[in-house]
Amino acid sequence: MNMYLHELKSLRKSTIIWTIVIIALAALYLSVYPGMVKDADGFKKLLGNYPAPVRAMLGINLSYITSIVGFYSMIFSFISLCGAIQSMNLGVSILSKESRERTADFLLVKPVSRPAIVTAKILASLTTIFALDIVFYAVLSIMVNIVNTGSFDEKTFFLINLTLLFLQLMFFAIGLIISVFFSKLKSVLPISLGVVLGFYMIGALISTGNNDDWARYFSPFNYFSTANIIKNANYEASYLITGAIIVIVAIAASCMIYTRKDIHAVS
Amino acid sequence: MSVIEIKNLTKQFGKARGIIDVNLNVEQGEIFGFIGPNGAGKSTTIRTLLGLIHPTSGSATIFGKSCFDHPEVRKELGYLPSEVFYYDNMRVIDLLKYSASFYKKDCTKRINELAEAMNLDLKKKINDLSFGNKKKVGIVQGLLHEPKLIILDEPTGGLDPLMQQKFFELIREENQKGATVFFSSHILTEVQKMCDRVAFIKEGKIIKLERISTLQENNYKRISLEAKSGISRDAFNLDGVSNFKVKENTAKFIYKGNVNTIIQKIAQLDLLNLSIEEPDLEEIFMHYYEKEG
Repeated sequence: MNMYLHELKSLRKSTIIWTIVIIALAALYLSVYPGMVKDADGFKKLLGNYPAPVRAMLGINLSYITSIVGFYSMIFSFISLCGAIQSMNLGVSILSKESRERTADFLLVKPVSRPAIVTAKILASLTTIFALDIVFYAVLSIMVNIVNTGSFDEKTFFLINLTLLFLQLMFFAIGLIISVFFSKLKSVLPISLGVVLGFYMIGALISTGNNDDWARYFSPFNYFSTANIIKNANYEASYLITGAIIVIVAIAASCMIYTRKDIHAVS
Repeated sequence: MSVIEIKNLTKQFGKARGIIDVNLNVEQGEIFGFIGPNGAGKSTTIRTLLGLIHPTSGSATIFGKSCFDHPEVRKELGYLPSEVFYYDNMRVIDLLKYSASFYKKDCTKRINELAEAMNLDLKKKINDLSFGNKKKVGIVQGLLHEPKLIILDEPTGGLDPLMQQKFFELIREENQKGATVFFSSHILTEVQKMCDRVAFIKEGKIIKLERISTLQENNYKRISLEAKSGISRDAFNLDGVSNFKVKENTAKFIYKGNVNTIIQKIAQLDLLNLSIEEPDLEEIFMHYYEKEG
């Protein structure tokens, strides 16, 4: 418990900043919405001039872009990018922190097992991800109700936002497994930015192509298509299961590798 | 039962040498010195003992248990690394409290005592501390739960002489209260003053394990001679003579063995001057070094 609280405290600041950034991003885009609705046809025409691949990449679907949920699904691709970077950062840094800040000689000679340390750190990280998502969703709901003029499907809206959590869990787990393979990780941001943006690009390329079902497995960003959620109001089970397997396997493997790892002296 | 037991411990880092077949026992209540030059394998041995590094083969236990399989044995362990790093944005007192929270006992009193003894400001941020002050935090952190085993890895670096003295006093006090101390260093005089027994490690192997008292016993002598005529190496070609250095009419060497034998040899020379002294550990150490190397 002491380790959990310690980690939580050390993550507090960055979590607050990320939450504010993501909320601000959503607010910025949503503030455009009322203006856009007033001139819906003009807006559609404007977007219609974009080449189809670019629209696909940005998650723009002309048939429902002017509805609040459709509009939001476009914003959501940026929000999920931010969320992915945040959680990947967290995943890469949470275990490697002790080696990077050279505090491993402090924590790892305490009378606690390595699995206990890993568990406390993962739980603290998950807590911050949940906190971020809950606060974000609460504020977002208020903002959407302010700018929206008509009615909207709250269930679809919720389902879209829940994929942020899924995506974050996946990137957190991927970050974790990457971090345990390094004996000494110098800096976190290049790795997490690189990996997330890499997947984002792959995801964008996949959506501009035929968007084949098998190709979508290559980027977590394509596991939960907002178009599909809007159409069917549910998730595609095969991707949901793949996502869950990635998370569980990556976390379990990280824990095992970290437990067996040699912790070298600082130099 | 020995407090520290290291059996046939080998650690290889890929192809690089780590430590090879190290055997050591440290008994309850002892102050044990672990001496060797940088890179000899002192830290590797200690880190394996602490459960930071997995052995390639052999075993290292404290209180009869391996730190990997029984992390809870570290409850009675206090460790001070050679370089200390702590969570920078914490205050000293918060770090010490966090450290204490692992031992499930109230350490507030001891923290205050130690901080006062080491003249450490508990309210400062760790970030703002100098290297020496960080080291003090390390010392308080290592001792605050009154451990039964204290492991120190080159502990005095960064401490000024006054603080070093204070620190050794603290360690001695803990030892008198019953704590076992395991102490690595490359500075011999430091060890000489403190330890009961000492092990020398070189290139990953233990080359000698002896009581300090035995090492310093009379059988080691540093002998310097000045003769009227030239001294030849052959005249002193007998067992126990080492580090023989001759320069025209003067000679210097370390002698280990029966004093009478050497005195008879010396008596054959026409001397201008003679001195027979106790060598310090450094010289004995160098003597092992050159012989083994």
